[in-house]
Amino acid sequence: MDLDLDDIQAGALHERPSPYVGTYLLLRVNDRRDGRKLVRRLIPLLSPAGAGGAWLTVAFTYRGLEALGVPPESLAGFAPEFREGMAARAAILGDVGESGPENWEPPLGGPDVHIALATLAPDQASLDEAVAKARRAREEFPGVEVIWRQDCYQLPTGRTSFGFKDGIGQPAVEGLGEHPGETPIKAGEFILGYPDETGGQAPMPVPEVLGRNGTYVVFRKLHTRVAAYRRYLRDRAADRREEALLGAKMVGRWPSGAPLTLAPDGDDPSLGADPKRNNDFRYGDDLRGLKCPAGAHARRANPRDALDHEGAVDVRLHRMIRRGTSYGPPLPDGVLEDDGADRGIIFVFAGAHPRRQFEFVKTQWLNDGIFIGAPQESDPLVGRGGDFTVPRQPIRRRLRDLPPFVVTRGGEYCFAPSLSALRWIADLREMP
Amino acid sequence: MTTSRPGLSVGPTSEFSLFFHVRPGHGPALREALRELQAAPGYRDGDYDLPIATIHEARFVPFDDDTRLLFATSFDGPWDSYMDDFASKPLKLFDAIFRHVEGYDGLPDLESVKKFILSAQVTAGGYSRNYGGTVKQIRKAERVNRAFQEVLDDPAAAEALQAPALAPLLAEAAD
Repeated sequence: MDLDLDDIQAGALHERPSPYVGTYLLLRVNDRRDGRKLVRRLIPLLSPAGAGGAWLTVAFTYRGLEALGVPPESLAGFAPEFREGMAARAAILGDVGESGPENWEPPLGGPDVHIALATLAPDQASLDEAVAKARRAREEFPGVEVIWRQDCYQLPTGRTSFGFKDGIGQPAVEGLGEHPGETPIKAGEFILGYPDETGGQAPMPVPEVLGRNGTYVVFRKLHTRVAAYRRYLRDRAADRREEALLGAKMVGRWPSGAPLTLAPDGDDPSLGADPKRNNDFRYGDDLRGLKCPAGAHARRANPRDALDHEGAVDVRLHRMIRRGTSYGPPLPDGVLEDDGADRGIIFVFAGAHPRRQFEFVKTQWLNDGIFIGAPQESDPLVGRGGDFTVPRQPIRRRLRDLPPFVVTRGGEYCFAPSLSALRWIADLREMP
Repeated sequence: MTTSRPGLSVGPTSEFSLFFHVRPGHGPALREALRELQAAPGYRDGDYDLPIATIHEARFVPFDDDTRLLFATSFDGPWDSYMDDFASKPLKLFDAIFRHVEGYDGLPDLESVKKFILSAQVTAGGYSRNYGGTVKQIRKAERVNRAFQEVLDDPAAAEALQAPALAPLLAEAAD
């Protein structure tokens, strides 16, 4: 089935430019008529899928849809987890303690977040132009207020604050091109209104125009403790080579992006840089994890064929489109002391099934170790602490009680409607 | 034992019980289907190779003169998180059995299958276990014990196990 690309917001289906700069804005709707007028003004600014350059993506929290006056019978048809919101799901997601909603950065997780606007551009000038357009649109409507802004940009290294190239393992989506060695995932896993991997379709709100061609967006601000991470590796390695190897074992890839499975002994920058090769691998010949540990971050987030023989899980039901970006200044190379700066990742997920995609991956694969037969372990980078095992000959290495290297600063579950749905929202009228 | 989700869990493992009503007159056919399942590879006595590798054991129990059917198992992980996975593929393994129970109309779509399962699920009133490990951990433990027994069968083992680092193994070697 062909995707209606002209009706789908660009940010959902297309990878961000590289390098990139971007701005996330959160808005509160104080006057729903102004809110709807803003939606109407934004529609022409949302380049349809397929367009390049700077683009804007607009998404709404459940409270935002309520604030705009989407009627109850329509609201009732959205995914239950979206209706509850991320803060209400925090305990399930493992966002507790210092990552708990009571410690989130305001207004994240609160009742005021209604509209999320993401602008990504290949350069600052394009970004400024796009943000200025959005700002002018917003200024016309005083009943809508900007309550949060977060800038992001690709670090000069092209890598995350932890020092690794990311955003590599995106799923191939049927109808949007193929990736080497990968059967594309059905479009309905990511866009509402199309068949998904189960043969059915994700539940949709009524009327159909509101749901079809839309996608759920999960957005999280994740602070990274880079100095603590570097210090941890340094303290547990005899030399720089061992330090790099341990870092790679935790991630599942080398800093260049080269997968451990294809480059088990050392980084291979040409492999890491080659999109035809850097994601074309499986774990079937490495079930014991001697090349890439079963507990490594990338292998947890997408176990590929590693669980196929177990019959309990269909990995294709748990894939995520990720559109993460970096924020904050990089910690200079070699620095092992925390400089107090806020830096990290804006994690962005897009998919049609937030519960069995984002929440499943987060709770079963990243926060837990039951699925790899290690209930006392969790993801060494983004997990809830616990142990981490590095299989190796002759004897495995086991690291005990890893400290958390990532702290959740907040986040929201949003819905990014189609352009037709945005028109439908803009056209809403009060009931007489 | 925790109760925050459907099904009780102990450590990493959760109990999962389904109670069905057998279609009138289908008792004998159900019995036959269960016999066939029991004879299938993986399910046979001694095979220890169920197609779903994260369940510890599974039983089908016809009761009330074969008018009811219980399916009971212990599963590694919170089973409700894996509902979509079960409903989309592994359930087909039990198609020949479920066709004899009410409410089952084949597998037309995921939502109706999930509804079928959830309507039959009953959370236990009590659930206890004698070991804490997952199936993966138990299988690893069995492999390690087999290897250890092999070591003990080697005449050189008594001397080798004297090494201080092997003291915990030596402590397990006497019986």
